[in-house]
Amino acid sequence: MPVIICPACDLVHRAAAEQPQRTRCVRCRAILQRAVGGSIDSAIALAATALILFVFSNLYPLVAMNFNGTTRAATLLDTTLGFYRQGHPTLAVIVFTTIILGPLLQITTLLYLLLPMRSGHQAPAAGSVFRFLTHVRPWSLVEVFMLGTVVALVRVAKYAQVLPGVALWSYALLMLALAALTHRTSAEQFWRWAERRPA
Amino acid sequence: MSTALTGQQLGLLYCQQCHSTVRGGRVAYPRCPRCHAHLHSRKPHSLVLTAVLVACAAVLYIPANILPVMNTRSLIDDERDTIMSGVLVLLQSGSWPIAVVVFVASIVVPLLKILALAVLIYSSWRGSSRHRLQRSELFRLVEFIGRWSMLDVYAVSLLVALVQIRSLAFISVGWGALAFSAVVILTTVAARTFDERLLWDESK
Repeated sequence: MPVIICPACDLVHRAAAEQPQRTRCVRCRAILQRAVGGSIDSAIALAATALILFVFSNLYPLVAMNFNGTTRAATLLDTTLGFYRQGHPTLAVIVFTTIILGPLLQITTLLYLLLPMRSGHQAPAAGSVFRFLTHVRPWSLVEVFMLGTVVALVRVAKYAQVLPGVALWSYALLMLALAALTHRTSAEQFWRWAERRPA
Repeated sequence: MSTALTGQQLGLLYCQQCHSTVRGGRVAYPRCPRCHAHLHSRKPHSLVLTAVLVACAAVLYIPANILPVMNTRSLIDDERDTIMSGVLVLLQSGSWPIAVVVFVASIVVPLLKILALAVLIYSSWRGSSRHRLQRSELFRLVEFIGRWSMLDVYAVSLLVALVQIRSLAFISVGWGALAFSAVVILTTVAARTFDERLLWDESK
């Protein structure tokens, strides 16, 4: 008899449907199973979109500020460089990891895993790489940075004119693309793709 | 619930990484056959590790709130802003919705995380069977909202990058920001070392 164990309270449930729907634990109400059934192609398309948005977010300025005729623009990388230059390398590393490296690793590991899978192959060390991805995900804080940007702009708007840059919009879209991508590549979904027989 | 069985009672292991169910054998250190993650019936040393991390976070919470996170030097004045005074500045400038968001994310959430984890550690250490569902939901809330605390550090990072006109206005980061990020990171790691299944284990 196939069983499912609740990740949050260890209660054993009988596995019912062949195509899992979103179910919750009867005891602690944690999510037991997530719905699966998306296509690999749409996940790859989302990851590719996210990669393009990531490149735009890094190439163009995030915001520019006009202060009595002096204009100053800041890119995504400038936020971590600013901390580094002021003698706070630890803070620079924390910000760099959570807003640049984290999202990039999320996108690239998924492309590495999904592209070979599309033609029925498994990328070398796929299991470990996917495991790595689940460790990276909690440290990618794109949506928090977006809100932090809003806070910073509200603070500075008193003194200076603020001009949103291309990267602000592309980073906001990257936030949405990553959320959709995470939703479509749950562990359940990933392993269902990985273990399916090539057609 | 007396007839309900747990994975531990049946000798079944749950892989936290790939969500598969594995029959535990007689191997000393079982690994997931699918993704090769180390498998544990319960996370090893969960309570001790989480308690140490939460204690460190609680100590650092003090400098995180006392030390300035941001220094503003301009022609007219020289300001040192802590997290709380930053919230007050936002409030005075009339943007109270943003002030509320920053207050909740930077002051309430870290404190809630530290207190909630302390309560959860203590109650699972005692093997308490009261309010299990509520404690389980409290843990999920802590896990979900924790990430938003980095908000203020990101706001400062952008201000530092933007306001660098030496003659007119200059913003620099303070040590409070480092202590504050340390609190966020420590509590996030603590939420991951805590094994929520301990909340449901019957004490022997």
